[in-house]
Amino acid sequence: MLVLFETPAGFALFKVLDEGKLSNVEDLGNLFSSAASARKMVKLQAFDKFDNTSEALEAVAKLLEGAPSKGLRKFLKANCEGEALAVADSKLGNIIKEKLKIDCVHNNAVMELLRGVRSQFTELISGLGDQDLAPMSLGLSHSLARYKLKFSSDKVDTMIIQAIGLLDDLDKELNTYAMRVREWYGWHFPELAKIIQDNILYAKSVKLMGNRINAAKLDFSEILADEVEGELKEAAVISMGTEVSDLDLMHIRELCDQVLSLAEYRAQLYDYLKSRMNTIAPNLTALVGELVGARLISHGGSLLNLAKQPGSTVQILGAEKALFRALKTKHATPKYGLIYHASVVGQAAPKHKGKISRSLAAKAALAIRCDALGDGQDNTMGVENRLKLEARLRNLEGKDLGRLSGSAKGKPKIEVYDKDKKKGSGGLITPAKTYNSAADSLLGQTPKADSAENGVKEKKDKKKKKKADAEEETITEEPSKKKSKKKKTEVEPETEEPAKKEKKKKRKHEEEETEMPAKKKEKKEKKEKKKKKTDV
Amino acid sequence: GGGGGRGEGGAWRGRGSDRGRGPGGRRPGGRGPGGRGPGGRGPGGRDPRSKPGGRAKVGLNGGSKVIVEPHRHAGVFIVKGKEEALVTKNLVPGESVYNEKRISVENEDGTKVEYRVWNPFRSKLAAAIFGGIDNNWIKPGAKVLYLGAASGTSVSHVSDIVGPEGCVYAVEFSSRSGRDLVNMASKRTNVVPIIEDARHPSKYRMLVPMVDVIFSDVAQPDQARIMALNASFYLKTGGHFMISIKASCIDSTVAEEAVFANEVKKLQAEGFKPAEQLTLEPFERGHACVVGGYRMPKKQKAT
Repeated sequence: MLVLFETPAGFALFKVLDEGKLSNVEDLGNLFSSAASARKMVKLQAFDKFDNTSEALEAVAKLLEGAPSKGLRKFLKANCEGEALAVADSKLGNIIKEKLKIDCVHNNAVMELLRGVRSQFTELISGLGDQDLAPMSLGLSHSLARYKLKFSSDKVDTMIIQAIGLLDDLDKELNTYAMRVREWYGWHFPELAKIIQDNILYAKSVKLMGNRINAAKLDFSEILADEVEGELKEAAVISMGTEVSDLDLMHIRELCDQVLSLAEYRAQLYDYLKSRMNTIAPNLTALVGELVGARLISHGGSLLNLAKQPGSTVQILGAEKALFRALKTKHATPKYGLIYHASVVGQAAPKHKGKISRSLAAKAALAIRCDALGDGQDNTMGVENRLKLEARLRNLEGKDLGRLSGSAKGKPKIEVYDKDKKKGSGGLITPAKTYNSAADSLLGQTPKADSAENGVKEKKDKKKKKKADAEEETITEEPSKKKSKKKKTEVEPETEEPAKKEKKKKRKHEEEETEMPAKKKEKKEKKEKKKKKTDV
Repeated sequence: GGGGGRGEGGAWRGRGSDRGRGPGGRRPGGRGPGGRGPGGRGPGGRDPRSKPGGRAKVGLNGGSKVIVEPHRHAGVFIVKGKEEALVTKNLVPGESVYNEKRISVENEDGTKVEYRVWNPFRSKLAAAIFGGIDNNWIKPGAKVLYLGAASGTSVSHVSDIVGPEGCVYAVEFSSRSGRDLVNMASKRTNVVPIIEDARHPSKYRMLVPMVDVIFSDVAQPDQARIMALNASFYLKTGGHFMISIKASCIDSTVAEEAVFANEVKKLQAEGFKPAEQLTLEPFERGHACVVGGYRMPKKQKAT
């Protein structure tokens, strides 16, 4: 009887030397406890090696479906004449019986036999040591796993991360080299640096003319505009730069070549990045664009990692320094991070950037999850959401316009009359506006720390008008942040848009954009104190 | 931000050096969490890991002094600071598999060793070791068949323990977890990922040789049968097994002890010799871990 034994290196056929022992299943195990006794039991008859991993993968994949591959069939036909074949899988055995007319056996004895062979097979197959088999089995297992998981190599997001890193590096390098060309050539022809601002055009011109004496004879019309060309030719004649030898010019020209080729490559790389982004994350690309999408993925580490983040994180990815600083010092947190550079946020008015950035981040998080974990390959979801976002933006701007054009909704609210409410100077509904001289002093005013990504409004902006109250305490806070509350008819200076002043009636309604929790609490406390007073 | 602000932020990278200068001996300093901390703001963050605002700091924090000692079981270590934790030596220094904390320690001769913290609430094996099993057969150089590998969090620790001479064959059927498993295995060369159903061990017969230990954490009602089938294929005579039994998964109507006893009987019928059973109590509810041998050679009676 023959035994078919599969290894990561190939198929092995063993001949059972002593078939009588097969009847005693229990003791079969003991027969294989040592190499010598194992050799007495079975002998290697034939071995069919896999030529390479792809062949191994194919053969094994077919085996798993229960069908013998071509190589296996040939092998068995060549070696199994007239003998029964012991196999590990009964389904496989049936198919072999059908196709190759070889009798297959599968029972407990066979299993024990296989077990024994497996425990000793490094000894039984000479020339196949443990250390050879380990990497083979590792490679085979990885290929099998990829085959099972339908791993497609063009859905790998590592490419994106590397490409965007390279893009940034290239930009830096390009700039460095271009600056170097300017400096170097400026020794010979300094005026050119001011005439041609663009780096690429500068390099092209230098490459074309070499020594500035040639400038008069050559035609720069493909590279430069006419007036610039005229200026160049003039300046070439009256230039105060020194002479340089041909050898130096050759090197400068080489550097220009480098600059130009880098610039060309950068353009190619950008196209490559765009095409990869569209393959790997089509929805995200439709929503925020290729560059921002690639930066988000690179910041998150991988598409899958990014998919695990909530929308609020996506919103401020890239603004971590400002975020943690604000959290530590109890300031307002930033409203946007990398998302700021998306076109939808760019289109919005500064007032609405925060709102749009939040909505965009929420939809972007959904799009990322769709791309990372979904099966679809199209960008319908991204496109739909983008339309929704643009509609929202229009809505936001429309609301603004509506208010400006005047409607009933925009009128100031009339306060409910409360006879016990202490009013300012008796009878006046709004206290008279008087000039607050405290606004004159510059001491004690901290500079506003505004940054593009931050948009934090300092606490000074949050001054509210107060109903003068004799018992009102002056709350002492950090001097840089708040001015102490004044009593009676004085009104604190407002540094906000006048539109907000109407809403600063503290008790009735609170306007919040980026309210700080501490301030909110204090306002609430004041509100409660006031209420208590009115109730008593 | 109180104490939280001190060591974090920009300064955390430069720390380790002013530590660990005790005369000889293992007096290393613990470096702060180098891996992706729980803030999850992505890689390359030079940001404070802890929530600022003066949250009370407990346990292993960045910059705290810790001592690392070997555990009774080979390959496992204990790190002692304000709190104790189980750690394994990182096979791939510098990388966290599932955002766990890493502790970097300096030896007497100046080389740095990195350990990864093993969370007993996430890993049944860690819970068993914490609980105090007598014999841990997963030791350096062993070949382990791990059924129910999931995303590879425990498998990575087993791979740390067995080291480069050993090998871990991790079987997991789900594709989602399988993807994470394959990613983890691509960094660790002693892990062989197998995306197959553990119920059909014949399907991975070309990948797995005879192994020394089978660890099973499959949480299926027929897990005893699965274990037996796999053992008949791959577990060497005299090998050992460890199985984690979830009572509610086998039969949720019967009492736990009855379930465990039943499972043990099933195992005994298949040629397993359970040596110890231990509950994973403070870490998992309704779980027990059974450790034992397979086809052990019969002991000669003394006299």
